[in-house]
Amino acid sequence: MIRSSDFDPTFVQEIMAEPGGEHLLTCWSCGTCAATCLVRRFDSAFNPRLVLHKAGLGLRKEVLSSAEIWQCSACDACYPRCPKQIHISDVMKAIRQIAIREGYERPGVTAEVDVASCIACGLCAAACPYEAISLEMVEYEGGTKQAAKVDPNLCMACGICNSVCLGSCIGVPGYLDEAVNQNIGEDEGTSPTMPRALVITCNWCLHAGSDWEYAQHPPEGVKVVNVPCSGRVTPAFVTTALQAGVDGVLIVGCQEDQCHYKHGNALEKGRAAMLQNLLELLGIERERAQFAWLGSLDRGKFPELVNKLVQDVQALGPLSWSE
Amino acid sequence: MVDAARQPKVDILAYSEVEKVDGYIGNFRVQVTKKPRYVLADRCNGCGQCAQVCPIEVPNDFEMDIAPRKAIDVPHGQAVPLVYSIDMDHCIQCYKCVSACGKLDAIDFSQEPETVDLDVGSIIVATGFESFDPTVIPEYGYGAYPNVITAMELERLANSAGPTVGRMVRPSDGKTPKSIAMIQCVGSRDSRFNEYCSGFCCMYTIKNALLLKQMYHEMDITIFYMDIRTPSKGYEEFYNRARQSGIRFIQGRPSQITEDPVTHNLFVEAEDQALGMPIELEAELVSLSAAAIPRLDTEHVASTLTLSRSPSGFFMEYHPKLRPVDSPTDGVFLAGAAQGPKDIPASVAQGSAAAARAARVLSADTWEIEPIVARVSAERCISAQGKKCGICAKACPYGAIIVEVGQPAQITQAKCHGCGGCVAECPHDAISQDHFTDAQVVAQLKELLRDKPEEKILAFMCHWCSYGGADNAGTSHFEYPATSRGVRVMCSARMDQDFILEAFRRGAGMVLVSGCHPQDCHYITGQQVAAKRFDRIPRMLERMGINPERFRVEWISAAEGEKYARVITEMDAKLDSLDKAQIQAENAKARPDITKRLQRWKIVPNMQDLLEDEVVSEPGKVAPK
Repeated sequence: MIRSSDFDPTFVQEIMAEPGGEHLLTCWSCGTCAATCLVRRFDSAFNPRLVLHKAGLGLRKEVLSSAEIWQCSACDACYPRCPKQIHISDVMKAIRQIAIREGYERPGVTAEVDVASCIACGLCAAACPYEAISLEMVEYEGGTKQAAKVDPNLCMACGICNSVCLGSCIGVPGYLDEAVNQNIGEDEGTSPTMPRALVITCNWCLHAGSDWEYAQHPPEGVKVVNVPCSGRVTPAFVTTALQAGVDGVLIVGCQEDQCHYKHGNALEKGRAAMLQNLLELLGIERERAQFAWLGSLDRGKFPELVNKLVQDVQALGPLSWSE
Repeated sequence: MVDAARQPKVDILAYSEVEKVDGYIGNFRVQVTKKPRYVLADRCNGCGQCAQVCPIEVPNDFEMDIAPRKAIDVPHGQAVPLVYSIDMDHCIQCYKCVSACGKLDAIDFSQEPETVDLDVGSIIVATGFESFDPTVIPEYGYGAYPNVITAMELERLANSAGPTVGRMVRPSDGKTPKSIAMIQCVGSRDSRFNEYCSGFCCMYTIKNALLLKQMYHEMDITIFYMDIRTPSKGYEEFYNRARQSGIRFIQGRPSQITEDPVTHNLFVEAEDQALGMPIELEAELVSLSAAAIPRLDTEHVASTLTLSRSPSGFFMEYHPKLRPVDSPTDGVFLAGAAQGPKDIPASVAQGSAAAARAARVLSADTWEIEPIVARVSAERCISAQGKKCGICAKACPYGAIIVEVGQPAQITQAKCHGCGGCVAECPHDAISQDHFTDAQVVAQLKELLRDKPEEKILAFMCHWCSYGGADNAGTSHFEYPATSRGVRVMCSARMDQDFILEAFRRGAGMVLVSGCHPQDCHYITGQQVAAKRFDRIPRMLERMGINPERFRVEWISAAEGEKYARVITEMDAKLDSLDKAQIQAENAKARPDITKRLQRWKIVPNMQDLLEDEVVSEPGKVAPK
């Protein structure tokens, strides 16, 4: 039960004094943000409306100790729809700032660095959408060494750092190169019949429940692999798949301006052309690597894309490496 | 309407446009253009045979374009007067209507627009509202998905006199939907579009839902709402009935609507606030309760009749509580949704009130006006000397001043409300305001700044807001320093730049000018005239060597007693922090410059003595009486 003694007006004032927290009390709990946010798919407890409502009541301990304040990735899908035009991710950030000051830490998985192999090239730091990575002197084998360092309070575990790393020195456990490659190659040889197609989707581009269901149970011959962000997909995943016996790959990410991790999709879009050119150089048809970008309103488009991939692959025939 | 048409003393000029309104309360002259109907109103009996034979079909806005109408038609079945009109943009002049009309011979292709001049005593503005176009909310898919319609479209589809004769069908396949979702607050209570609550959508949505539930018992109806507002008599009971009839109410504003590309069914995504859980509801039809918005031509009507608009865009009433049907222009009254979204009972009540207010004018032989009005001095007005000016006419919020070169400016005193904006703006001091003449105000300055002026804050206050604010501070017992001295004028627009300079010439320590917040101005745009003038003052003071921090502009409403006390306290602290000798030095330095500038003021009656008065410069010395 909540008692009036739990309300802490200074907490409300503190949030509103933080940059971005000014609009906390503008919220009247309509739930548009909660209905827009996809984080709930992976954690049903997550509800941005309730975070703002509790913060507005001044429930300091309950808000600061909750896992939810750390889960907003600032994708800002809710902001353009909010009828009060509250920048909810900024309010979350303001609350997180207070939590950090009070010694709370972000729970859950974040990117980890393999200090031994890191050469401190800084590519990951430049690619990180959250400026969570910096190059610092860290302890290593009794001495120190310059290497990438992840601020766990800022990292959102998108894995984009891994995709730009030259040597798999940084990444999110569960989505390291090795793990994804193993997942891609797992079914090798078990499906000898055509089509053998692979679909790599990000966790957020399939908004409609029915499309998400479809991805969990794809048609025969199609394997669906999930990654946090399309920006996590490296060209090596595609070549690994093609080498492992797959005849065509479809990579699906979020539509422009809808990336869950700010700009992961833009990064992948840049790689798409490069990958297709690379395939052509290898004598492989461009159509064997397809890309698609889905928006939140694109209900039913995903099955269409998968069907198209299957048809294209069937038309192209099995991939022959002899050429 | 039918009753009004039968009343011999009522003339209805339908299909007409008001072009121009001149004059003032009791004596308006209105120029109206009657558009050509190409049908003679006195011969047409509304039988409709012409429409039956007309081969041309055009979009029908009354039916929300769901069904067509003919190129010769009446606006709708209950139209008054029931006279047909030809839509000349689409008519092919086949003259089939002429033959169908036969002996009545009502059709006349030679009709031209006709201008009518009307002399009227009062005017009621009841121009209604428009419906918000939801296509600008892409996440709701109106315009993109065929089965997302507006509540107005649903209304026509469910209406027994509508295009489907009351059979509810959905656009994609013409079948009766088994499930309908209705979404509230589309474009209202939304800071992206309209902040206000449209007020009557809750009730018409519940009405539509109940109507459909009575027609189709099995229909699954869900209403998504943020708050259900049922404040009027009998409304809550009606809402209870809807709840009991099995209509599903879900509190939660939908984030988006997506469409199944095959079935064209819609998926409404929202959060059920009571459950704290996301919900994805499949519906065969979605109806959007779109906001009521001001008509597109509101600005045009406002400028024709000298009306003002609220921040929401609807016409503004004279006073929200005490004069809710009067407009700022005497003799012009407001009724219905043109003044703000309202339902039928409220519109009828306001219409009746407006009629009664208008009748007061019509039944009076004479009309008392406010004693505070502006007067032009024909000798000093440069327009009379053949020079182009017209500054006063621009400043007048009521269009009460007419300036013709060669003539002195003419003020229609029945239109003047006495804000004094023209008086302060006139660069030749040719206008004075009864009861607030320049000499009367300056005489007050003289007395208030007689003793130790450098320790005083001279506060100019407008009658309606900031003076009320100061009064509120007093009655609420908010304490503030005793260093302020108030001068009341009717509007911040009356606060002449010369008053401020004169205050500094007389040695004032600080000057405050205060008035209403922009949207609260009692004189429509008086505050704007003042704000523009005050913007220039800090730089001017700086050039004269006066610290601009000694001048302050604040907008204080009559309810903001706390603010008034705070502003004076802050100004007093500022004054306290300034060196008094420095203030005197600044004033002394600026004095010759100000004196020179104010020379021309001496032509205004009674001003010469006041300006030639010796001004106190040394502390403790009192000026001779």
